[in-house]
Formats: sequence, C-alpha cells, structure tokens
Amino acid sequence: MAELVGAFGVPHNPHFPSLVSDGAPLADEISAMYGKVAEALAACEPDALIYITSDHYNLFFETLPVFMVGIADAAVGASDYPTIPERQVSIDSELARHIQRYLMAHDFDVGALQELELDHTVIAPLWFIAPDWDLPIVPFFINGFLRPLPSARRCYALGRALRGAVDAYPAGRVAVVASGSFSVEIGGPRILADAHVGVPAPDWTERVLELLRSADLATLVAESTDEQMAEAGNAGGEILDWITMLAMFDPAPPATLDVQPWFGHAYATWPAP
Amino acid sequence: MSVYAVNKLCRRVVHEPALREQLTNDPEATLRSLEPPLSEEEIDLLLVGDVGALAKHGTNHFLLHQLARWQLLGLDLPTHGERIRAAFPAEVLRSP
Repeated sequence: MAELVGAFGVPHNPHFPSLVSDGAPLADEISAMYGKVAEALAACEPDALIYITSDHYNLFFETLPVFMVGIADAAVGASDYPTIPERQVSIDSELARHIQRYLMAHDFDVGALQELELDHTVIAPLWFIAPDWDLPIVPFFINGFLRPLPSARRCYALGRALRGAVDAYPAGRVAVVASGSFSVEIGGPRILADAHVGVPAPDWTERVLELLRSADLATLVAESTDEQMAEAGNAGGEILDWITMLAMFDPAPPATLDVQPWFGHAYATWPAP
Repeated sequence: MSVYAVNKLCRRVVHEPALREQLTNDPEATLRSLEPPLSEEEIDLLLVGDVGALAKHGTNHFLLHQLARWQLLGLDLPTHGERIRAAFPAEVLRSP
C-alpha cells in the first residue's frame, strides 16, 4: 500500500515570488519560511503530492463544484498571475483517478477535470517548495469561496477518506499540502486603508495557530463554522483546505510552524505524519 | 441588476487580454457588447467605476477588485479600496 510520508500547510500570496525576486524587505523571511517546507518536502522523498486548494474563480465560475480533482496528465499556470513565471506541472493522473474512484465509492461525489490550468494558489507555492522539481501533483479543489461552502465537518470526513484512498493505493510515497490562509479579505471593505487586502480576524488566526500547536483538530473542526469563516474574510473558507489535509492523519503538533500574522497565514510541516 | 453579468465581466478580464484592451479603448461599446448583457444601471456604474454601489447591489467583492487590479474603467487598487470601504462603513469599523 502507498504511504503518507509528509503533510504541509502553506500560504499562496501571488506577490511573494515577485517580492523575493525583487529583493523586497520581506524577501528573506518569505524565503526562509517556505524554505523549511521545501526542505521537509524534499526530505520525505514523495512520488506524488496531493495538492489541496480552493480555486479563486479561475477554473470555476459558470459551474461551481464543491469538490473536484484534476485528472489530466499535466497543467500549466499561473492562469491568473502572469507575473509568476509560467510552468507546466505534471499530474499523477493514475493516482488522481484512483482518488476519484475511491472517494465516489465512499460517498463523496467528486467531479473530475480532464483539462485544467492552475492558478497562483498552486504555482506560487510550488515556485518556492519545488522550484526545480517536477514533482507530480494531484490537484484537489474545495469550494472555499462562493457560498454555500462545504462544512468543516464534511471536509474532515473528506480528509479521512483521502487517507483511505492513499492507503488503498498499491504503492508509492504520497505527500499532501494544503494551500490557504486563516483570515484574509481581498478587495472587500475589511481591507487595510493602504492595501487591497486585510486580515479581518487576527484573533481567529491566533486561535487556529493555538489549535494547530495543540494538535486539537476536533476543536478546529467544531469552531470552523460558516459564520466564523465569513468573519475571517472573503477568503476565510481556505481553512477547509487545511482541515482536509489535517484529517488525513492523526495530527501531532507541527514540526515547524512559522507565522506571518499580518498576512493571516502560516507555514507548517508534519514530516512522517 | 443581474449581478452575475458583472461578476462574469470581472472574472473574464483576468483571463482575456483582448477584452482588457477593448475595455481600455472603448469602454462603453465593450460593456454594451457583453453576454450575458449588463443592465443600463450596471453600465452606468461601471463607466464611472462605482464599485461601492456595485458591491452594495451584490457584486462579488473579490471579483470587483480585478477591474482595479488591471486598471480598467478608471480604477486602480487605492481607488477601489477607498470606494469599497466608503460603501460599507460598518464593516470597516469592525476591522482591527
């Protein structure tokens, strides 16, 4: 059976690659924080990376799936930010199709994308954590943006089922990453006066971090209500990506946890979960 | 207002450079050519970049900011921020 060899959580600010390339004041910090994830990802030597994210109205608009997996052989991105160097990413389509079949057999109605582009939520973090490594991914999309969102409880169950899918796969080393923030508003009224983003719920960010440090996934699921996610900003549903990732194993406190509270996000690693 | 038509426009400008160019060169004619069609009120609000009113009508805030990100219809990100915050003063006050 396949083995889950690493789990990770990352942010996906689309401007971070440019900031680092341009040597902006935050460049060293961003590089160092992503660097720990990159190091841990390389150390667990995965054959494939399940990449859990929420589309930002790039793939899905006319049609709005709740759960979707990409089963093409490869995809290009970033579709929404030409400032991020374009790259083609391989997809482990065999594992992706297995995951879809397994989830369908376990009562999760997951759609399949036979062609897709990847947006900044995938390409920006990969620029840091797998810059010169064509690690095949399985892109998995959870609607974290346009209500009604799936519940945290449902995403927990989804994560458990995803783990079942990994365990039922014949062989291989599989890692998982969740891409998203805990509290962020983009373009809405709860932004900073001098920016187009803001962190509406810093207390919620702190609470999520506390629950990550204490490995209390049950409480995180219970407290990630629809109202709480809405309070956290118009991208507050991205916590669902983290919950799904965490549900794939019995989380211990993360081996590393780096926080940028003014962005409402963190970088976390769980090697050998 | 249809809302969906405005949301769709905002989504399209991210992925269609030709549409961005058309909106820059002839905004009114471009807005009138869209499918699904925009209402007269939506066209008027878009032409003056009134993202606050559009947001109050239910247009998606995230998608609306894409107009400013691509500097269309007289908008830029600071102007977008100023107008969206002015439209929802109670929300702004709730922010830390």
